[in-house]
Amino acid sequence: MSAATIDELMVVTLARAFTNETRAFNGAVSFVPVCAYLLARRTHAPELVWAASSLAVDADPKSIPESTLSDGLWDGASMLSNSAYDFWSYAQGRRYNTFAFRGAQMDAYGNVNNTTIGPYASPKVRLPGGGGMADLGCMIPLIFLWSTTHDPRTFVEKLDFRSGIGWGDGGDHRARLGLPGGPQLCVTNLCVFDFDPDSKRMRIRSVHPGVTVEQVVEATGFELAPSPGGVPETDAPTDEELRVLREEVDPTGARLREFR
Amino acid sequence: MTITGSVGFESKLRTLEEAAGEVADGATIALGGLSMNAVPMAFVRELARRKVRDLTVVAIVHGMPLEWLVAAGCVRKVVSGLVSLEGFGLAPRFRAAVQSGEVAIEEYSEHTLICRLQAAGYGLPFVPTKAGLGTDMLALHPETTREEVDETTGEAYVECTALPVDVAIVHADAADTRGNVRVDPKLVWMDSELVKAAARVIVTVERILPERAFRAAPERTTYPRFAVDTVVEAPWGAYPTSSYPTYGYDGAFFEAYQRAHADPATAASFWEERIAGPETHAAFLDANGGPETLLRIARRPT
Repeated sequence: MSAATIDELMVVTLARAFTNETRAFNGAVSFVPVCAYLLARRTHAPELVWAASSLAVDADPKSIPESTLSDGLWDGASMLSNSAYDFWSYAQGRRYNTFAFRGAQMDAYGNVNNTTIGPYASPKVRLPGGGGMADLGCMIPLIFLWSTTHDPRTFVEKLDFRSGIGWGDGGDHRARLGLPGGPQLCVTNLCVFDFDPDSKRMRIRSVHPGVTVEQVVEATGFELAPSPGGVPETDAPTDEELRVLREEVDPTGARLREFR
Repeated sequence: MTITGSVGFESKLRTLEEAAGEVADGATIALGGLSMNAVPMAFVRELARRKVRDLTVVAIVHGMPLEWLVAAGCVRKVVSGLVSLEGFGLAPRFRAAVQSGEVAIEEYSEHTLICRLQAAGYGLPFVPTKAGLGTDMLALHPETTREEVDETTGEAYVECTALPVDVAIVHADAADTRGNVRVDPKLVWMDSELVKAAARVIVTVERILPERAFRAAPERTTYPRFAVDTVVEAPWGAYPTSSYPTYGYDGAFFEAYQRAHADPATAASFWEERIAGPETHAAFLDANGGPETLLRIARRPT
């Protein structure tokens, strides 16, 4: 088995954060988490629930199409949900407990921007918009973030627009708003962040092979919380994880769409 | 044109051209489907060809239909939660039009927009939700997404005010001429909320069935005839988006569309040759590969 590439390392790292208690779904352009849900379900978490495109429960696609919101992802599902009545109800009722999103910008508290770069009224770049992240950031207790572009333009001190809430202004902000849980991890192409339990700021949990702590600090546009006990290297994928990902989960390499 | 409906009943069957004529300049329309799926694209193309003006387009999560309506100059404002071509990239015409200020955007999240439509459908002043709390979206339009605190529990929530829609257009598998509609196998998207929020409902369908087909399987009817004003027979009417499970989206069309938009000249010729130019829906399908394309995207016999 050839060594893991960065996309594979990210998928495997995210997959290992999921368990038999994970009840997840996915939104648009979510190739990395879709691969991670499928990988976790095929390896250590057979009871994991994943609703493809947030609608097709227990889908088992033979490959992953160009759109993670499309019916091309639904083969083998045990139920097709209705969005308005099934999906949004189970999301708000906490039957679903896990969601992953990314943004063009992220801040230290895991809030994300996918709306505009530059001032809202006269944007330099008009991005797709927050979609469901503004909603699900409020409804879902276990939030996972990922980024394939770890640089100071993505990881910023202040978002140009807060499309989706992570830990908000930090500390107990989510609790004060009556929102459950919050972001757990942020997996990037350089490292894995988790969140300081008090301040809720990102801190380095591990760095990927060949990446130094200094490189991560340099690529991050905000100050990180200290990592108690040092920073280990991200655990390498096993041969079996790589085989399942390459041969069964994503044989066409759809996840690479996020690494262009 | 004369179409014979069920004997003794008025037929709601209209041509695409006639149905598109029901949308007036300045109207608020809502488009069914989601992203790459089940969008009434044949109808959208006809609207673009008619050069309807000053539309407010409610599009919860969409891409290609907004591209076409913006390109044709039909749109004053987009009311939306997300606009993109997903794995194919950002929506180029929409993005340019918003950045230049040619088209306004009224920005929501997916669920706050659903709540606004539900308020309209249920005849309520607002529907509450916790969605959007702590984001910048609420402050963009405090008059329609009001942050409040519940007196009894002390919990924060958002009041999403009713969003009335003049015309909703949705795509489905089958209808009869009286307006009974079947989404086959099941309605998964949020189209039902558009249908309930709208003063007028236009449904494009893959095929027309006799009314007895609906009476034989009433549990499969999605919208009743009293909720539907106009029916249009438009086979492959969601192309290049999908109509699950009959056919998938045409990824090759989306790729070619994005490639053409690398340069204004190729974008203009793509628009003319493959989208707006063809006189009829059938000619449009032919301009995009005809039967060969349709066989490629077909998922089950039609």
